[in-house]
Amino acid sequence: MNAEIQVTVRFERGATIIDLAGDVTTFAEEAINEAYQHASSDGARNIIFNFREDDYINSAGIAILIGIVTEARKRDQRLLMAGLSDHFQKIFRMVGLTQYADLYPSVEEALASIAERG
Amino acid sequence: MIPPNTTRVVELKIPSELGYERVAREAAATVARRLGFSPERIDELKTAVDEACTNAIRHGSKSDSRMKVVVVLSADETKLDILVKDPGAGDSPPSEVLDPDIQAQVEGRSPAGGLGLWLIRQMVDEAYFVEDSESEGNLFRMIIYRTTDERRPALNDVSPLKSDEGGHDA
Repeated sequence: MNAEIQVTVRFERGATIIDLAGDVTTFAEEAINEAYQHASSDGARNIIFNFREDDYINSAGIAILIGIVTEARKRDQRLLMAGLSDHFQKIFRMVGLTQYADLYPSVEEALASIAERG
Repeated sequence: MIPPNTTRVVELKIPSELGYERVAREAAATVARRLGFSPERIDELKTAVDEACTNAIRHGSKSDSRMKVVVVLSADETKLDILVKDPGAGDSPPSEVLDPDIQAQVEGRSPAGGLGLWLIRQMVDEAYFVEDSESEGNLFRMIIYRTTDERRPALNDVSPLKSDEGGHDA
């Protein structure tokens, strides 16, 4: 049984947006890492992970994101997470991911934050 | 007429293959909705059941799809009692669960992962491996109350993830 996830990369207003649709579990590792590498190879400085409200994320998915955070720190990239449900916002805070990635309710608000910082 | 405090039991068998934990997660959510759990508690339950089943698949049966993980959901008016049984084909359960050190993981001082049991502890009211000499494999029990008001008064003093000498009557 393979988890269903769709990962797409787009560029908008100075940011790279990685759209995730589906379960963020161990099955998503390759797709998410490929999308991140694609974004980084294009010199992205601001990367927004855009989740859907009903996406499911388990501990393996969190471990994938910790790996991304690790890479992003080395590359001096800013990570932003948008669209997470209240439940996963809570988990991200509990785990400590919010020390390394800012959470926003939507991509629009994440983009506005990037524009403010310049 | 069925007495109001009757326990309803749902028993599932899923293949020990990653991905099937989703079946148990959604079944548990369905039972909790019937009990009137809030959406927030259902989200917590789903995370706990998913992580427990993932552990049972990965560590309790080494992702061998010929094996089975059994999930027993026992529901009464106030709580859901969940038992996850695996064949015990893999590693022994850990004796302690440490808080995650994400800084160490990000700085490469410790490997990423190992969050599953810790997450379960944060989500449910009780979580522990049951020591049952009559049963082969691992038994992991979780209890989640419909609301925090329905927890037993002494529960706040109980350390989760302790071993339990007794059996399970589900």
